[in-house]
Amino acid sequence: MAYVRVEKAVKYFPREDGTDMLVLDAVSFETKEYGITCLLGPSGCGKSTLLNIITGLEHLEQGRAEIVSNHRDAGKDAPRLGYVFQDPRLLNWKRVENNLIFALKGMGIPRQEWDERIHKYLSLVGLLEFRKQFPLYLSGGMRQRVGLARGLVIEPEVLLMDEPYSKLDHLTARKLREYTLEICARLKQTALLVTHDVEEAAYMGDRTVILSPRPARITDILDNPLPPLERDVDDTRFIQFKKKLLQSVMRLVKEEV
Amino acid sequence: MAKQEKALAAQSEVGVAVSTGVGAIPRRRGGVWAEPIQDVVLRVAGVLALVLVWWILSLIFPPTLVPKPMETFGEVAAIITTGDFFYEMGATLRRVLVGFGIAMVVAIPLGIVMGTLRNLESFFEPPVILGLTMPGLIWAVLMIMFFGLTETSAYAAVAITICPMLAISIWQGTKSIDKDLVDMSKAFHAGPWSKVMDVIIPQLISHILAAIRYGLGLAWKVVVVVEMFGFSNGVGYQVVRGFNIFSMKAVLAWAITFLVVMIVIEFGFIGWLERTVTAWRPKIEAWRR
Ligand SMILES: Nc1ncnc2c1ncn2[C@@H]1O[C@H](COP(=O)(O)OP(=O)(O)OP(=O)(O)O)[C@@H](O)[C@H]1O
Ligand SMILES: [Mg+2]
Repeated sequence: MAYVRVEKAVKYFPREDGTDMLVLDAVSFETKEYGITCLLGPSGCGKSTLLNIITGLEHLEQGRAEIVSNHRDAGKDAPRLGYVFQDPRLLNWKRVENNLIFALKGMGIPRQEWDERIHKYLSLVGLLEFRKQFPLYLSGGMRQRVGLARGLVIEPEVLLMDEPYSKLDHLTARKLREYTLEICARLKQTALLVTHDVEEAAYMGDRTVILSPRPARITDILDNPLPPLERDVDDTRFIQFKKKLLQSVMRLVKEEV
Repeated sequence: MAKQEKALAAQSEVGVAVSTGVGAIPRRRGGVWAEPIQDVVLRVAGVLALVLVWWILSLIFPPTLVPKPMETFGEVAAIITTGDFFYEMGATLRRVLVGFGIAMVVAIPLGIVMGTLRNLESFFEPPVILGLTMPGLIWAVLMIMFFGLTETSAYAAVAITICPMLAISIWQGTKSIDKDLVDMSKAFHAGPWSKVMDVIIPQLISHILAAIRYGLGLAWKVVVVVEMFGFSNGVGYQVVRGFNIFSMKAVLAWAITFLVVMIVIEFGFIGWLERTVTAWRPKIEAWRR
């Protein structure tokens, strides 16, 4: 099992005029040992920046961010991370299976495992029969599922998803959330999901970390009382939890306005 | 079931393109072949019209200036049946292809480097622009003076004439590369080779194809010029020979065979190449009427 730990993270970006802009202000949180943790915050608050810090694309001015794993000597190897982007970001000139191979090859997974893994993860996202298809012949939702399979096929310690449903239509997004939730629960996958949608956080997150508008501070960390497969958007317990999240977020917005 | 979904997905793609203005997908009457056949008929009619104009001119001018089409085609047949054609055309084709290959091998990396590294872009821009401006004829003269009447000078003249054009085309293409995909490839730790072959070159494919088209067109022109300077074989040499004995018929016959080969390569080979390397793109023909 692996999880993400961020301690007192402070991040500045330089402004045009030479001054510094504070983006993350002493952000601390931990994800669960497995399951999905949502980062919920308004647009521009620094959610993507936080992801980039966790993946090592950006560095911190103070504090630390690490992926704690009991499989791996943390000092030695880089953690294995899977990504699902906002748009599918597939290589459209490669067949579905070759898109997965691109990731497998990049992450140095031994060739003899490829076929089995492709089979497993394409089945999980329900696209096994489209294995040899080119992405542009698939619908938007199916492409996003290929993106999910590509993130999972490398069997990452942590799966990182930055608003993966925000470009899909309402119904497709809903279906895909169900899919992702079920798969992550089945695989006991640790995942970090960035979102600015309260309902999405209530539905997807075993834990939700609420960030304030910039500079981002942690205002609340709420654990979902419902296990992943028992969340039903019409259930009163779900609605209650959603309200709780919403109140927490609205409080911030009020302070802001 | 799979087929159906596929068709649906493909249709929704078409739908997107169509919504930009043209309306519903036109349903073709008369089966799948009606359109291709009509296409062929129109093309053949276009060629026949040219021959007709030629024939009318041949009635006006003496045969030393404008030979009769039929006689010229007879000459074409003679060239082909004696086997001269394959020998001469082979020599010319070899020069074109070798020169073209050299140019491609230089231009693709050069174009990619220029499009991705700012400093090298500034460094290479002047020589590339200069090279583009230089007429092929001058390159041909320079190369022959430098290498003498050898195959090398033909290869070099072809390569150096078309290289700048290829490089510019690929350089411009590199600027439209999707940065998100490059980020994606970094996220999955793709190696440098994989980044170039799997991510960058496929995005340049339409630019590379366009470059091949223009490049081959230029290469033909240059190689004929080089051959005219004193080579002892090749289509260009044969044209000069026809000129020396003032046989309009010979000149035209060689020009025609040359044209036919060029057209076969253009439409046959490059068309095939294009279809093969862009099979991943759904065909959207609905907007073209
Ligand atoms: N490389 C950078 N240099 C300077 N400023 C940056 C850089 N990257 C992000 N920022 C700024 O940092 C702030 C946080 O950006 P970030 O992309 O993390 O927000 P976000 O929470 O992901 O927003 P959204 O929900 O819109 O994606 C923004 O104000 C942005 O302008
Ligand atoms: Mg973002």
